[in-house]
Amino acid sequence: MNADWQLAWRRFAVMLVKELKQLGRDRVLLAFIVYAFSADIFLAASGVSLSLNHAATLVQDMDHSPQSRELLSRFQPPYFRMDGAVGQDAAALAALDQGRAMLVLSVPPQFGKQLATGQPTSIALQVDATNSVLGFLATSHAQQIVSQYGLESAMQRLGAGADAARSLPQVQNDIRVWYNPNQEDSWFMGVAEMLNIATVFAVLLPAAAMVREKERGTVEQLIVSPLSPFGILFPKVVSMTGVILCGVALSLFLVLIPVFAIPVKGSLLLFFALSGLYVFTTAGLGLFAATIARNLAQAGMLSILILAPMLFLSGAWTPPEAMPVWLRGLMYASPLHYYLDIAFGVLLKGQGLAELQPAILGMGGIGVLVFASGLLLFRKQFD
Amino acid sequence: MNLQRVLAIAGKEWREIVRDRLFFSLAFVVPALLMLLFGYGLSLDVENIPFAVVDHDHSAASRDYAYRFIDSRYFQFRGYAGDERDASRLIGSGQVRVVLVIPPQFGKSLAQGRPAAIQTLVDGSFPSRAMTTKGYVTAINAAFSLAAVAQAVSQATGLSQQDALAQLTPIALESRYLYNQSVSSIWSLAPKLIMVILMLSPPFLTALGVVREKENGSIFNIYASNVSRGEFLVGKLAPYVAISSVNILLLWLLAVLLYQVPFKGSLLFFLPATLVYVLCTTGIGLLVSVLVRTQVAAMIVTMVVTMIPAVLYSGLIIPIVSLGAGAHVVAQLMPAMYYTDIVVGCFLKGVGLMSLWQPLAILAGYACLLFAIGYRLFSKRPST
Repeated sequence: MNADWQLAWRRFAVMLVKELKQLGRDRVLLAFIVYAFSADIFLAASGVSLSLNHAATLVQDMDHSPQSRELLSRFQPPYFRMDGAVGQDAAALAALDQGRAMLVLSVPPQFGKQLATGQPTSIALQVDATNSVLGFLATSHAQQIVSQYGLESAMQRLGAGADAARSLPQVQNDIRVWYNPNQEDSWFMGVAEMLNIATVFAVLLPAAAMVREKERGTVEQLIVSPLSPFGILFPKVVSMTGVILCGVALSLFLVLIPVFAIPVKGSLLLFFALSGLYVFTTAGLGLFAATIARNLAQAGMLSILILAPMLFLSGAWTPPEAMPVWLRGLMYASPLHYYLDIAFGVLLKGQGLAELQPAILGMGGIGVLVFASGLLLFRKQFD
Repeated sequence: MNLQRVLAIAGKEWREIVRDRLFFSLAFVVPALLMLLFGYGLSLDVENIPFAVVDHDHSAASRDYAYRFIDSRYFQFRGYAGDERDASRLIGSGQVRVVLVIPPQFGKSLAQGRPAAIQTLVDGSFPSRAMTTKGYVTAINAAFSLAAVAQAVSQATGLSQQDALAQLTPIALESRYLYNQSVSSIWSLAPKLIMVILMLSPPFLTALGVVREKENGSIFNIYASNVSRGEFLVGKLAPYVAISSVNILLLWLLAVLLYQVPFKGSLLFFLPATLVYVLCTTGIGLLVSVLVRTQVAAMIVTMVVTMIPAVLYSGLIIPIVSLGAGAHVVAQLMPAMYYTDIVVGCFLKGVGLMSLWQPLAILAGYACLLFAIGYRLFSKRPST
């Protein structure tokens, strides 16, 4: 019994070393792994924001009254960025056409006079709605600003003093944002990017390692060796998992924590353990593709088919609430969905095993399923 | 350059692709399938945000307030929570994203004409969703407040409530949505999906095509032959450009027929411009394949330099003007951004060469540059 275990361990160790050597010899690939886990994550975290930020706004003020200036001065960063004035309608349209402006605000002549005398007036907002969400958001923020200013000027005209607002039956809604109080996009984008990169490698590396053996015929040697299918697959996955975990550590300790001050509220040990589980699970998907594919080109296309939906529909780039119901069902089959919950849960929310139990069970369940069927397929091929 | 040799190489490559039936079908199936999946699945609209209410007041006013949210299509009511601790548990586990906490005395304060306070807790782990949510909450809150103030004013002045409301909102905001009047998310998405998918598939096909010969060693036949570098590269890439051209038509048809996105521009401009873009993306594949030695590396490098930038630095989700300084530079360096201008311009804005010559010229320059670098770096006498 003991000897069996020793033998199994030695086989495992030999295969593991073989895999690591094979990977280590591909310098370009190694360099790229380092790049992806450092520079790429840095860029995503530092520059990309999914929120409405600094919407480029042009102003067409045909009134030039104190009122119009006051109203326009309320369009402020972070939502709006005033890019200056535009005179002609044609120039405004051209700016929108060429994408130089997202919004054009037009204040009609007589605006100030009408407002002072209590006549209803209006201002026009042209929105580039080629991005529907941001177009909608910009309009709703503009609406807020305009009605607030309208209310204030109305109260003033009706004779109420400056502090009238304090004695009105208004509802003051104090909105508190949890887990990321300043809504640092870098926290979200940085962590999400790290997970995406880990996913890309977790699918591609083991898949490629497997297909390569097939393509070169070296898998035949492995099959006639005393190794079981599990003995062939397992060291591959373990070595790749190790490499990817090193990458995650690299991005966490060299980029995300020191540069972007991402708080680590929970246990890092737990995070790495669960990351290991995730890579393992996802590697199963890659192996699945590898058993179907006969060469690397096929494996590559199949991997796109697995990876692209995983990344796009995980909730990393788009909110899961926005998806149709049938797709949300599909999302539950994607390990990345659980990993996102886990990563944000441990890092930002400080959750522990108890709170994360559903996510862990979901991920583990998928892992076992995919691995078992992959192993089955793999074995069948060589029977 | 000898045309016959180019054709020979292209013919050989083409036969190799066609014989691998799985690969051949994947080359067409993958783009179409991604278009279907993302078109139906990738909605950016934030709706049905699950929320709960903690009502310490139990007054008619507090119920009215909560109802404004329950009725809204942006929120999905998940029930009343007992207290704040309950609420924080619900947010922590992700079951709800927003909790409204209505304090005692809420109704009483309003009835007496005094301001009332409410606290809203928002899950901020996804900042853009949190911001959209905040926007909705503020809007609903403002509408409720305005109605309450109008009521107070009408009581104080004897005006009808409608007149009071009109007095309080002297300025109307007339917004006009250009290019996408119904603010439909698929209209803004589908054209950009063409951009993303043509960034994913062609470089992948190309990169693997060239590296495969390196890894198999069959490239030594080329090294030993009298085929020149240029002939080899052109012949090698031609079949992949041809496949991608068919995919251009396929994706265009899906956008126009299935998703009913209006195509306001001219196909005579759109198709050649898209071909230039595909030459760029195949050029990326070519460059990768020249630089790496193994197919594994080719796959990974291609994936990282194309897929993620195509989403983040292209204007797909985030408009270029909103990017930070570093990301802005990255965006300028990628062809995706320029093509986004073209595809959106052609579909939604109906502008043509007059407005879009600039991005087109940059793309053309980009393609030339990529091929030039690829040509320089590809050597028939590699050192290793």
